[in-house]
Amino acid sequence: MTAVVQAEGLTKYYGKRRGLEDLTLEIQPGEIFGYLGPNGAGKTTTIRLLLDVIRPTRGLVRVLGADPREPAIRSRIGYLPGELALEGRDRARDYLRFLGRVRGGVPDARIDALAERFDADLSVPMRKLSKGNKQKVGLIQAFMHEPEFLILDEPTGGLDPLVQQEFLALVREVRTSGRTVLMSSHVLAEVESVSDRVGIVRAGRLVAVENVAALREKAVRRVELHFESPVPRAAFEDLPGVRDLRVEGASVSCTIDGRPDALIKAAARFTVVHLVSAEPDLEEIFLTYYSDEERHHDRQESA
Amino acid sequence: MIAKSLRDYRRALIWWTIGISAFLTLYLSIYENVRQDPATFNAQAMAKFPGALRDLMGGMGDLSVGAGYLQSVVYQLFVPMLFIVCATLLAHRAIAQPEEAGTLELVVTLPVDRQRLVLQRFVALAVALLAVAVVTFGVVWAVGESVQIGVPFDRMLAAQTGVFLLGLFCGTVALTVGAATGRKTIASAVVGVWVVAGYVVVTVGRSVEAISWLKWVSPFHYYTEGRPLYEGLPVGDYLVLAGATAVLVLTAVLAFDRRDIGV
Repeated sequence: MTAVVQAEGLTKYYGKRRGLEDLTLEIQPGEIFGYLGPNGAGKTTTIRLLLDVIRPTRGLVRVLGADPREPAIRSRIGYLPGELALEGRDRARDYLRFLGRVRGGVPDARIDALAERFDADLSVPMRKLSKGNKQKVGLIQAFMHEPEFLILDEPTGGLDPLVQQEFLALVREVRTSGRTVLMSSHVLAEVESVSDRVGIVRAGRLVAVENVAALREKAVRRVELHFESPVPRAAFEDLPGVRDLRVEGASVSCTIDGRPDALIKAAARFTVVHLVSAEPDLEEIFLTYYSDEERHHDRQESA
Repeated sequence: MIAKSLRDYRRALIWWTIGISAFLTLYLSIYENVRQDPATFNAQAMAKFPGALRDLMGGMGDLSVGAGYLQSVVYQLFVPMLFIVCATLLAHRAIAQPEEAGTLELVVTLPVDRQRLVLQRFVALAVALLAVAVVTFGVVWAVGESVQIGVPFDRMLAAQTGVFLLGLFCGTVALTVGAATGRKTIASAVVGVWVVAGYVVVTVGRSVEAISWLKWVSPFHYYTEGRPLYEGLPVGDYLVLAGATAVLVLTAVLAFDRRDIGV
């Protein structure tokens, strides 16, 4: 199967200013890829390169197996720009119909169904749409032609929580139907629940690509166990992955790296009254990547 | 795509057509009085426009003769300028304006070839301008008839064709600069300088040896030199305008196809 996105050494300079440097990345069909990084890191640059809005300084990029310059492949892509601008006296519905026609036809019923899910009023002229409603129109136009590949730049910006949930549900449906999504965000929490993999971009470079499940597994998590009667410390010592062990009477607390399996099996020998396990904060793991990279960077610079 | 552009232009087109038509009606209806009392009006006009100013108005032929009046008042300066401004503003809406507003980004990600996009926007500009030209020609002809201006239909059509070609040329300059740079102000500046300098060169500059050769790059040279109101369709001159427009469109297509959008 050909990769949906295939980038090799993809680099973009705006004059002397670096936009993106040496990006090598593959996104497979059916995958939801979260593209993370702070503002100005190169997320939008990457996305614009994939859509042929801007042209690479060097490197190779293929989308859906073709050069992004080929107009035909763009009808198979749905795109939500990061800074969506909608203007004019046209009603939102007319503009959506126009976009649908250019992309090869979209039934009105599908537009209406999406509008209903997002609770969007399409009878308003576009220049009068509020920011949130513009974003809804942007999402509708990205999803309405049921594209094989969705590229969504900061899709949840300006949406209220209910609509965000609806959006995430829609993304999951897209995955179920075997289609592919690339969505960018500067907050991991927004994308972690739907993403299969996340890529972290920083200062124009892709610093890490991680499987979200693996990231969770790697996560350090704090666990507290309360037993019916005091337990011996020896029963919990030297368990694989267990650190910072504290045993005080009938309660045990520790942090675990990765799987909690060994700890659970050790605890099972006693009567467990209460178990507390904090969800790992992926945001924190995500930030450790950043700080590692930074240290690495600093070392290089001082060398 | 073309239909969509035209629908977007609709409102602007209606207002421009009304404006230019009103201007034409107002000025042409005065001709009635001029014709009845030519001596006074010619003298007044001479007094009002001394020396160089008269050159700037294209020399001002005999205002009491229909063709002279029509040339000086309508086709010399005001109507071409209105067409040029109208064409330039419409041309901005092809590339530069949507690019500055950010709406172009979604449009270039549609499954439409970029070269095609520029061509479609040019066709929309040409059709829009043609619509204004046709309607206002109807007005010139009708009002001209009613005040017995006495200029034959074909001569008037030749002059109006010139206005259309001149406007289209200047609009295409704006479209091309906009397509190449994505900046409205640069496009306006280029059109403004070219038009004003070009106009001065063929009027005041006509007698100034040092700059008179510049007339070859002035669009007005090809617009007025053939004196269409007196001598009919100047085929060669108009072909130069049309040819230059075609070259500009080609430049716009190639420039836009090579460029990063919205950076």
